[in-house]
Amino acid sequence: MIQFKKLTYEALEVGEEFVSDEQLVLPEDVETYAFAVDDHHPWFLEDSPFGGPIAHPTLLGNQALRMRHGRYIVHAGLHAKMDFEFLEPIRPGVRTRSRGKVVDKYERRGKPYMVTEFVTEDENGTTLVRGRFTQMLFRD
Amino acid sequence: MATMTQTLPSLVKEISQRKIDAYSVVRARSIHTDESWARAKGFRAPLAQGMMSTAYVSEMMTRFLGAGFVKGGTISMAFVKPVYAGDRLTVHGVVKDRQPENGGTRVTVEVWCVNQGGQTTAIGTASGLEP
Repeated sequence: MIQFKKLTYEALEVGEEFVSDEQLVLPEDVETYAFAVDDHHPWFLEDSPFGGPIAHPTLLGNQALRMRHGRYIVHAGLHAKMDFEFLEPIRPGVRTRSRGKVVDKYERRGKPYMVTEFVTEDENGTTLVRGRFTQMLFRD
Repeated sequence: MATMTQTLPSLVKEISQRKIDAYSVVRARSIHTDESWARAKGFRAPLAQGMMSTAYVSEMMTRFLGAGFVKGGTISMAFVKPVYAGDRLTVHGVVKDRQPENGGTRVTVEVWCVNQGGQTTAIGTASGLEP
């Protein structure tokens, strides 16, 4: 059983690793995302040059962001930076998982930040997306 | 020799709370979906997730480069001002570089988002492979 603790700058350790739960990418996930970002490109709903529909390249960003929720109580930080590399298209029907590591933490102008690198793979170990995000953590 | 600046067609995005809720999943004590929590943290309204702006840039780049962005694309962005429910963002892009890569050409675009008040909310670059 997981003992959740609140995500704080002090609790966080550089080198700490995270892994998300597995996510089956559903067609309805893609439709919901299309609504959320108002992008109804036919490749996401009908057919694409990759054979069949694909998902928006940024669809799994939240899976990477929420890796930390498997261990910490995270009341949303303020996203400062985001880097993505899209290596393979994401297709509905694949099972995906993100793994990541805290690579830096620092304070700037009295505010705490954490930097996390991540890789998102499908069930065959193919890397779909990789990247890095920087978040400011809220102090109480 | 002077070169022509290539400007990508801009996108306009209306940010509603329903869209933020769909993007972020409604949760208590979230600055994105819990209005009272957002105010307690010093914001005038719930915020859009920063990554929504990367999704808009992804749309612009997919329209521009197609499959060469979906497979081989990159985005690097900094979120410099909050985006609130009710805001209207305009997403801009200008080609700044073309470099050979593996027999093709990688195109790098400067990208930025501006709100209805003329404030820049996000800046960065995106790239992909030209067909």
